[in-house]
Amino acid sequence: MRGLRCLLVVPLLLALAVAPSAAAQDRVKTREIVVGLGAEPRTMLAVTIVDWTTNTQLEHIYDRLLDRDARTLKPKPMLATAWKVVNDTTWEFTLRQGVRFHNGEPFNAQSVKATIDYIKDPASKSHYAAYWRKVKEVQIVNDHTVRLVTDGPWPSLIDRASLTDALMLPPKALKELGPEKLNQKPIGTGPFRFVEWKRDERLVLERNPDYWQGPADASRVTFRFIPEFSARMAALLSGEIDIMKDVPPHALEPVERSGRAKIRSAVSSRINYLALVNLKPGPMQDLRVRRAMNHAVNVDELIALVLKGRATRICGPLSPANVDFAPVECYQHDPARAQALFKEAGLDPAKLQLTLDTPSGRYPLDKDVSLAIAAQLQRLGIKVNVVVNEWGTHLDKIKNRNTGDMFFLGWGPSVFGQGVMEPLFQASQTYSSYGNNKAIDEKIARTITVVDARGRAQAYAELHQMVRDEAPWVPLWQQHDLYGVASHVEWSPRADEKVWMYDARIVQR
Amino acid sequence: MRHLKAWLGIGLTAATLVAAAAAPWLAPHDPLRADFAQSLRPPGTPGHLLGTDQLGRDLLARVLHGARLALFIGACTVLITAVGGGLLGLVAGFAERWPSAVLMRIADVQLSFPFILLAMTINAITGLGLRNIILSLSAAGWVVYARVVRGEVLSVKQRDYVQAAAALGMSRARVLFRHVLPNVAPSIVVVASLQFSQFIVAEAAISFLGFGVQPPTPAWGSMLSESRDFLYVAWWLAAFPGVALALTALGVNLLGDWLRDTLDPKLRV
Amino acid sequence: MRAYVLSRLAQTALVVVLSLTAVFGMVRLSGDPVLLFMPMDIQAKDVNEFRQRLGFNDPLAVQYARFMGGAVRGDFGESLRYRSDALGLVLERLPATLLLGGTALGLTLVLAIPLGVVSAVRRDSLFDHAATVATVLGQATPGFWLGLMLIYLFSVQLRWLPTGGTGTLAHLVMPSVVLAAFFAARIARLTRSAVLEVLGEDYVLTARAKGLAETRVIAKHALRNSAIPIITLAGLEAGQLLGGAVITETIFAWPGLGRLTVQALLNRDFPVVLAAVFLISVMYTLINLAVDLLYGWLDPRVRLRA
Repeated sequence: MRGLRCLLVVPLLLALAVAPSAAAQDRVKTREIVVGLGAEPRTMLAVTIVDWTTNTQLEHIYDRLLDRDARTLKPKPMLATAWKVVNDTTWEFTLRQGVRFHNGEPFNAQSVKATIDYIKDPASKSHYAAYWRKVKEVQIVNDHTVRLVTDGPWPSLIDRASLTDALMLPPKALKELGPEKLNQKPIGTGPFRFVEWKRDERLVLERNPDYWQGPADASRVTFRFIPEFSARMAALLSGEIDIMKDVPPHALEPVERSGRAKIRSAVSSRINYLALVNLKPGPMQDLRVRRAMNHAVNVDELIALVLKGRATRICGPLSPANVDFAPVECYQHDPARAQALFKEAGLDPAKLQLTLDTPSGRYPLDKDVSLAIAAQLQRLGIKVNVVVNEWGTHLDKIKNRNTGDMFFLGWGPSVFGQGVMEPLFQASQTYSSYGNNKAIDEKIARTITVVDARGRAQAYAELHQMVRDEAPWVPLWQQHDLYGVASHVEWSPRADEKVWMYDARIVQR
Repeated sequence: MRHLKAWLGIGLTAATLVAAAAAPWLAPHDPLRADFAQSLRPPGTPGHLLGTDQLGRDLLARVLHGARLALFIGACTVLITAVGGGLLGLVAGFAERWPSAVLMRIADVQLSFPFILLAMTINAITGLGLRNIILSLSAAGWVVYARVVRGEVLSVKQRDYVQAAAALGMSRARVLFRHVLPNVAPSIVVVASLQFSQFIVAEAAISFLGFGVQPPTPAWGSMLSESRDFLYVAWWLAAFPGVALALTALGVNLLGDWLRDTLDPKLRV
Repeated sequence: MRAYVLSRLAQTALVVVLSLTAVFGMVRLSGDPVLLFMPMDIQAKDVNEFRQRLGFNDPLAVQYARFMGGAVRGDFGESLRYRSDALGLVLERLPATLLLGGTALGLTLVLAIPLGVVSAVRRDSLFDHAATVATVLGQATPGFWLGLMLIYLFSVQLRWLPTGGTGTLAHLVMPSVVLAAFFAARIARLTRSAVLEVLGEDYVLTARAKGLAETRVIAKHALRNSAIPIITLAGLEAGQLLGGAVITETIFAWPGLGRLTVQALLNRDFPVVLAAVFLISVMYTLINLAVDLLYGWLDPRVRLRA
């Protein structure tokens, strides 16, 4: 009897409980956008922690000193309107006038100095301190002109200033409230103001009507954190979120078919590669073996079959999205040549046993690609043991030089040369798979200090060729970033992975 | 009806055993062979009765081979946890004072451990793989038995005939095994039969967290875990391993029920 | 009785300390934390500088002493990943966790116990067999599968319920159902088994012979005496609901303690892990204490000695 009564209560409760969240149609009227992300930000304080998810959200609250052009990815004015090289160790920036922080404070040279001082202050424990290490001093010339004096020539300063490494903090608020309070109620100059942050649930921002570039189209932007991919997709299909990143190739069709959202893609600057480890004894220490691997792996087949065409092949560590790119020739897929090279190196592929370390779910289809590479090498008789690592373990192994003969990794956003060449091809670097080549070490050291534009291009072209010839990797591709975007939102993704809602427009359909 | 239940249980369990044993002969393809041109084919595609997964591997072959690992994991962990946990529970309930308290506090400490920490630590010691899974699951699973058994023992040992036996001078061990154990056995059997299927599903949970069976080894749990990204696109990847798991679980549980009914001294009329 | 409770509380403190110590040791074993929350193009010397500043280069004993010293004051340090007070982050999750856990437990007991009792009383009937199948399926169905299927049906197709998050009662429905489906199965089966045992006892036969109504017999005599294993299991499951519902929390984007703990572990965020373990072990031991006290109340013959 009691049980029966219980049964009656349930549908009643359900009826009462149904209070659907703002449907997509309501959001069109109020001009709100909801973005579904898989992870939440780690802090609300700019220039403290290096993390893509965090920065992509913080960028709506804070502005960078310089921005990057969405198509060419070259630096362009933002809070600084002009810049010039005064001498080898000094950069001068002219700042935009009439810009105010959300609390009314004016933005000026003092803000730039305060931000960089904050970054370099050991008490801040900012990750960016390492990036700005070469800046010796920040000189305030006048309210709207500031000079950065570096310790030795640093041509990539302009690149750092155009990334999230230079999101500007409000000096007065920083001094009066302190970083902790500012973390709870962040203040910037950006197109959106902070409303609330419920950890692991959502970040809510509202339009800043006084934004110097003009107010955004969206009146409200909410970032919702949905860690499970299928749940995120369900949210897109049910209209709960408007934008979703990282739609895998096999899910493209259902999204398009649903009629509620379309797929938008951008060729990312993030690259994926198969590292051939020469930092420990093994077959990969032989140049011929590494070149043989490049001929043995069929990258085009991987792109076509595993990624369903959604990737752009690269021939060397620098991709066309990188400002320092110079073309080099791809290694052709040539099993016969691979066999010949193996033979030359004194190895019989049929007796060869290699180990490939891969993460899972960190990069699009990373595990599947690794298994596919193993299958391809199997055609030559090589036995490949694929070890799937949890992400932390994967990084640990790479750092401790404890991986197998090869490992899969991605790197990005890779928009300038120093960011790729310096950390990945020298034995002293944490995540490098290759090193102990004095010629390359010296070339890198010289290339990263060339300030003159033409000289820089030439230096990187030579370096790129050198590295390509050494075959430290089997370079794979640039990822395609696939986004699901609701039909009533007009927005195009960018190659630098910035999910920038200022550009988004809501259209009545 | 009761006999029908028993026969169903035996039948299903036997079917799983046969699938596991005869997998290499029953499977139409090599479960490890990837064929990217055939990825995500639905059931009924020529040559692939149950369809293929994202790497083009035949699902039927993988489900059949998965039976081996499923049974192995289930059997090993249940054995270790039931015997280990049950014994500890018996001791804890029967002994007075501090041995009992110590054991229960150890159980508390271990319960406070996030399960994944256990898996991660064991991972650091033995590396990924089957041993890690069985050890992690066993380490997490023994506590249920220990606590349930201890609870029952506490109450049973107060019963008149048990007190009488002790008063008559029967040794404690004898009292334990002759009088207490038979009363406690039905609970152990029920929990064990439930845990069996739970451990197989737990293997899915471990895979969810990143510590599961290494690819390309087929195991129902990790197959289920991997299928969740494809749930709305390729439903068969979750459906068939799931059905296999459910049927095996049903068989083992019915078997457990029947065993329990047989073992219960009061029901033997 | 008072002595017993006090003694158990003292043991609780001991358990918490032991848990923290064990976890402290284990997380150190599991790998280097510093790398995981640093950007990938960081230089080696900067990594070392950070390790130094955070105290990771000190000997293990020193780190442990420092940690314990802070822990007794409630200071578990700053989260490595979020730069916020670790204990604060953990406590922030408590309300949502208790809400989901409590609802799921309530749902479980309301579903499972009647199911188990009726199964036992109507043994071998159609109801019993149907219930068996249902409970087995409940246990054998992975939570994430059930959750995603429910989301697809109720959120995508029918648009009745939201896909996840918190806020209204509607958000609570699917996650608690998914949790309850799993936990209810065990309790239902155990209830059936325990009640069956008790139904054969003499005092039940006596009560029936005395002419007591069947429901009264069950409710007053059978249930009370078969409660012990049921309560034990319920206590265990309550603990699991609070600290281990990570899969459900992930699927439904529910900001719970289970998910925080797992994320912290995978990110090697030690302070948060330790703070979470602290909270969970306190809760577990208190629940177990409550269960043991209930033993004494339900079955007066059980004498609890300190």
